[in-house]
Amino acid sequence: MLKVIDSAVPVACWSCSVAHNDATLFCPHCSKIQPPPGSDFFSVFGLTPRLNLDLPELEHEFHRLSRRLHPDRFARAGENEKQWSLADTALLNDAYRTLKEPIHRTEYLLKLHGAEIGEEHSGKDRKDPSRVPADLLEEVFELNMQLEEMRLERTTGEADPVLQASLEQAKRKFDGLLDEVDHDLRAQWQAWDEGDIAVRQSAQKTMVALLDRRRYLSNLVRDVTETLGV
Amino acid sequence: MAYSDKVVDHYNNPRNVGTLDKSSTEVGTGLVGAPECGDVMRLQIRVNPETQVIEEAKFKTFGCGSAIASSSLATEWIKGRTVEDAMAIKNTDIVKELSLPPVKIHCSVLAEDAIRAAIGDWKKKNGVAETAAAETSAH
Repeated sequence: MLKVIDSAVPVACWSCSVAHNDATLFCPHCSKIQPPPGSDFFSVFGLTPRLNLDLPELEHEFHRLSRRLHPDRFARAGENEKQWSLADTALLNDAYRTLKEPIHRTEYLLKLHGAEIGEEHSGKDRKDPSRVPADLLEEVFELNMQLEEMRLERTTGEADPVLQASLEQAKRKFDGLLDEVDHDLRAQWQAWDEGDIAVRQSAQKTMVALLDRRRYLSNLVRDVTETLGV
Repeated sequence: MAYSDKVVDHYNNPRNVGTLDKSSTEVGTGLVGAPECGDVMRLQIRVNPETQVIEEAKFKTFGCGSAIASSSLATEWIKGRTVEDAMAIKNTDIVKELSLPPVKIHCSVLAEDAIRAAIGDWKKKNGVAETAAAETSAH
């Protein structure tokens, strides 16, 4: 299940021909811009995949690389280098956007390691169909029913204060559950970053389950917030 | 991405939306969810104890248009079928009928899961053993 990522495929620099790690945007030898590497987002920043990131450092590196890649700097360069500055910038932006956001970063790292996350994975393709958090379903369903009732009452102009209060209470509860999930996720980050293969595999499984749970909760909180207008 | 006409039709005029009495022994309830998107779907059937024919089917889905259309279509298809016949419905049939794109296939899987869960609940209530065929065809 744990996919080994080989980001260190050596590639010869187009300009000076010295071999370098595929992940780099600039040749370490001659500093010339390189075509967009086909490696993962972490290695764009010279990082090995990990979940606890130094965000100020990541931002600093993002700005530094953005400046170096800026198309203005390639105005007099060859056609290839011009194109690469655009393509590398796009890659850098994608990588930064994904890595700076904790949930996106976690999902991205899990996908890199073969986890089946996201809408492109139909239930049939899932290796483990028992991923649905059954304890949550009943509650999610009931709350959705209440939300619908609330919206219906709103359209006729007479929202029931009891229903309103119960929804507000539910929102506080689900906000709390969401915090719990995020807290649990962070604990798994640590395990993944520091653990051996067995620890990592178990952390991955736990994180996939936590993210499933989180999706229900965040959808609910979003819907309740929208309906209550708070 | 545009929805097919059939999805739009089911979305605008969903068939068989509603609730059946959960406590009735003739009623089976399936509540399922898709972790990919957080959708939840409840599908209920009322089975004639003599003929084992599904006489009534109701659903309530909170989710995207494809999830609503898939469950709406599922209730239409299982109504009038025997429990065993209804088990034969495959998510791929729903995909074909509604022309669902690949990213929405999980909605049809959810509908198939809901049918199976509702039938499973009804069987459990009525002491009907799951047949071996049903077991192996489930995923």
